Amino acid sequence: MANTLRLYLTCIRNTLEAAMCLQNFPCQEVERHNKPEVELKTSPELLLNPVLICRNEAEKCLVETSINSIRISLKVKQADELENILAKKFLRFLSMRAEAFQVLRRKPVQGYDISFLITNYHCEDMHKHKLIDFIVQFMEDIDKEISELKLSVNTRGRLVATEFLKQFI
Amino acid sequence: MERAIIKGRRPWIPGGKAMAFFNGGSRALVEILTRFQSAERPMPVDHTFFEFGSVRYHVQASASDPENVYLLISTPSLSHEASPSTGLPEFTLQEARKMYHKFAEIVEPSKEGYALTLKLNFSGLTRPKDRAKAVRQVSLLQSVVLGSQLKHLLGSLGSSGATKLVYNHRDPFFVSRTPGKIKAIFPMRFRDDTDIAVATSFFQELQDAGNSYAKAPKCSWSAIPPPELRGESVQHLTTNGGFVSFDIFERHVKRKRAAKTAWILLNFQAYVKYHIKCTRNYIQSRMRKRQESLAEVIQNARLRGGDDKKKSQVRKKSKRRLFSLGKAKKLQKGFRAVIDGIKRLRLRIRVKALDRFRRCFVVPKLATKKHNYLRLGA
Repeated sequence: MANTLRLYLTCIRNTLEAAMCLQNFPCQEVERHNKPEVELKTSPELLLNPVLICRNEAEKCLVETSINSIRISLKVKQADELENILAKKFLRFLSMRAEAFQVLRRKPVQGYDISFLITNYHCEDMHKHKLIDFIVQFMEDIDKEISELKLSVNTRGRLVATEFLKQFI
Repeated sequence: MERAIIKGRRPWIPGGKAMAFFNGGSRALVEILTRFQSAERPMPVDHTFFEFGSVRYHVQASASDPENVYLLISTPSLSHEASPSTGLPEFTLQEARKMYHKFAEIVEPSKEGYALTLKLNFSGLTRPKDRAKAVRQVSLLQSVVLGSQLKHLLGSLGSSGATKLVYNHRDPFFVSRTPGKIKAIFPMRFRDDTDIAVATSFFQELQDAGNSYAKAPKCSWSAIPPPELRGESVQHLTTNGGFVSFDIFERHVKRKRAAKTAWILLNFQAYVKYHIKCTRNYIQSRMRKRQESLAEVIQNARLRGGDDKKKSQVRKKSKRRLFSLGKAKKLQKGFRAVIDGIKRLRLRIRVKALDRFRRCFVVPKLATKKHNYLRLGA
């Protein structure tokens, strides 16, 4: 793993560890309702300051915390047109299958490529450290997958082009 | 109907054997003719089918005349400018005669709606090997027709301007002659952004690979139309994938190579589309795999759901144990019941009133363990 990436991921991990102290908190507006405050933002006293962690302009992570929920939004690097297409395709693919991940948001926050929403119920149901591990691994895997896909698309292209030209010889 | 036949059916993977070239033969035609020949009793054949969307075949044979099979083909002309008539040009007919003279003859005039009628007679070929070879040759009829047209066009191009060729209705391409070479220009149009991205990567690789193969035609790709297409209608010059050009030199269209080169050029767009389709499939399968591995991570994060499988197995085992214990208890109960029954049988029934009666009449006592010996002194 690149040194800068490790630092970036460590920073995100530490932020998440600090931010993920959620508790059950009923909605203050509607009786007998329990909603993620980070989404509704009805009571400012229940929200913490959002933390923006940037690796560079193209890669950043926004951690928004509230009393009963936390929202993590990621922006994945897209160096060129092919990476852009692959990232879009892959993240859309995952968003369409959000039910498999439980904490994945179907629609990302504006300006980001993918978002997660973790509520106090998720924290009760899952190990906190494993949940953080998942977020970090997800980020690593997305980067790795896009790089590998780009590489293999180019390799395939080269091989197919070579085979095509060989026909003339 | 089949769009194209690819050698090697298994999906292509990087590092494995790369995508093979498009074959010019019609598999449907091979199958029909082979089945007809291998039939024990002569049977009538009447098949009409389409290939490539616009090529129509009609195979006809009667049971009364099993030796003669009529093959009719209708294929759109490559260029209306070069051959405006509806039938096939003379050079194409000559090419077909030359290729099939051993076992076929051209019926003229052809049946209405068809460009060419071949009367096939394989009775002259005695060996099955020769027959199979002949059938394979017949299956190449479409490539012979189109290849000869393109070959003729390449040979008879004017010194200036480009000729529009329509092999696939949606994707026409252009051929132009410049001193010393012929240029084939393909305007590339794609369905969506993913296709464009994959195709762009492929064209760049094609351009680079072209430099390392000296014998192959030089390939170039540009987003803007090349100067040879100046004056063409805007409709033909509007693309989203740019223009791919091949510089064909004399060595590429020499003798036997001409037909092969023509066929490769005709299928270039289909080749690119097939590559895109395969790449999309490959991307999809990789994404699915990655999704599965990520979903596994989140499943393991659950407090109770991490090792669901193990737990269910343990539960099954414990259930089995419980079941076995239950069985044992039942058996034990049964065993006890049997023993009790035996004991009950061996127990003496004591009726109080009978004791007096026993004293009056000497009733011998039942031998018990207690009195299981003889007193010596008595």
